[in-house]
Amino acid sequence: MRYLLFLLLFINLFAVDAKLKIETDVEQRSRIALVDGSTVPNDKIFKILLSDLKVSGHFLADTTQYEGDITSNFIEPALKNKEYVLKYALSQSTGIKLIIRLLKASDGRQVFKKSYAISTTRKMPFLVHKAISDINNVLKYPDISWINRYVVFSRYTSPRHSEILLADYTFNYQKVIIKGGLNLFPKWADKKQKSFYYTSYNDLLPTLYKINIYSGAKKKIASSEGMMVCSDVSKNGSKLLLTMAPNGQADIYELNLTTNAKTRVTKFNGIDVNGKYVDDESRMVFVSNRLGYANIFKKSIHSSAVSQVVYHGRNNNAVDAHGNKIVYSSRESKNAFGSNTFNLYLTSSRGSGTRPLTTTGANQFPRFSSDGSVVLFIKHSGSGSSIGYTNLTSQQSLLFPLGGRKIQSIDW
Amino acid sequence: MIKKIVIATATLSALLLTGCSQTAPDLDGKNNISDATQIAGDTVTIDENKYGNEDGTSGQYNSSSDGFQSIYFDFGDYGISSSMENQIASNTNVANSAAGSKIKIEGNCDEFGTDEYNYALGLKRAKAVKDSIAAQGADTSKMVIVSFGESNPVCSNPTDGCYAQNRRVDLRLVK
Repeated sequence: MRYLLFLLLFINLFAVDAKLKIETDVEQRSRIALVDGSTVPNDKIFKILLSDLKVSGHFLADTTQYEGDITSNFIEPALKNKEYVLKYALSQSTGIKLIIRLLKASDGRQVFKKSYAISTTRKMPFLVHKAISDINNVLKYPDISWINRYVVFSRYTSPRHSEILLADYTFNYQKVIIKGGLNLFPKWADKKQKSFYYTSYNDLLPTLYKINIYSGAKKKIASSEGMMVCSDVSKNGSKLLLTMAPNGQADIYELNLTTNAKTRVTKFNGIDVNGKYVDDESRMVFVSNRLGYANIFKKSIHSSAVSQVVYHGRNNNAVDAHGNKIVYSSRESKNAFGSNTFNLYLTSSRGSGTRPLTTTGANQFPRFSSDGSVVLFIKHSGSGSSIGYTNLTSQQSLLFPLGGRKIQSIDW
Repeated sequence: MIKKIVIATATLSALLLTGCSQTAPDLDGKNNISDATQIAGDTVTIDENKYGNEDGTSGQYNSSSDGFQSIYFDFGDYGISSSMENQIASNTNVANSAAGSKIKIEGNCDEFGTDEYNYALGLKRAKAVKDSIAAQGADTSKMVIVSFGESNPVCSNPTDGCYAQNRRVDLRLVK
């Protein structure tokens, strides 16, 4: 009887260890292989799947494109050393359909199966993103639903002309939303991405509009002499941080959309732009030349004290914030013309824990993902321009090539 | 007593082992559904070419018109240089002779700035021109200033001379 007691206690101890081991494994990236079961294997979907798995920071994907029957649970011996095998098949008829099956590599046991369909064929990248987002959730990894979101951006087409487009985060999907005229600085108005704000230069004065991307309904929000930019939207969408210049002086204002009251937040006789809510939204960080060069500062929305956030670099001209996290671009070369090195840095609203996110090229337009876990940026280098993503946890980066036209502003 | 402990331990072990051997959820059949997701809706395309950026102003939109002369700036600067004093004086005369008309002063930058900061720099240039004209006695009550940042270049060649032409302020009448 005593031996039996010791045996049972030993099993208990083992069980606790096993649990700890499982938790340890979960902290590591899952090794996964992709098997294409489409009638006609599709290279594009394979590349998007790889991108999604990599940028998530939760998977270590085999970069070989395998082919096999999606209905079979058979796992090739060569793939048995993975943890998971993702079988998928893409088919097109009236729209596009994607079927995925996630199998345990060791025994072919099915963990997850789902099919996705959409009528617009060119929205295929979103089906892939949704599938990987779902797999990530099934395996109980930290949420990556930001990969399902639209990116909205403006780009110049010719002098004094631009267009505003929607894209998926890889830019494989792109669609023009506003063409013609000069329309700039798009900024999402709500979490569900139904509307965005943008500045129209098609009237005498720069004018801020809000447009619904599904109905096309436009609403005029405000206009200002000089310049007008919606730099940030509060979490509940009720307040905006605007850069306006009603007296020819670029300052930051907070617009309460409920009361339509404008509060002038900065009053410096120089350049104050790019206001971003930080902490609990009672404060903001912004770019100012109050020390004689562009740098990052912080102030309360309703009091006058201003504090410097960044203490390095001589030209820190763009900033974004998420909670108490701040990312900014810093010029690190002194060429008046030609190529300059701009690097991105991550810091806190107190200016502590600063670390570089990039080390080469001209990296600008930093933007946090909706959950603050990833930073988007535009990279210009000798080989052209790319849109980049850096996962702040896994520190993995991805770059996707952009077309030749110059991006003016971007949000996601 | 030992028997009770054994039974209790056995029960506990069974529970723990059950927890360890819990399989990943198998959603086959339950979740095999079409999922169009929130991006399924068709988005619009708005054409604003009808505006044509004319906005009531006259002449070429990337240079001064109506007798005004463009004012040029050094890299990253928004101060009026001494070499531009004659142009400021000339513009003051044109503004005085056009009294009663609305005048638009447009600030522009080269391509080396980014984001909002470049638009603010163009704005500072436009305001510097407006203030200089005001200092020479012109009525600025009917003047409006707007920054076009780097959106309105005269040329796009990668030369210093080209970049210098883009760091400018244009003036024109609003008709």
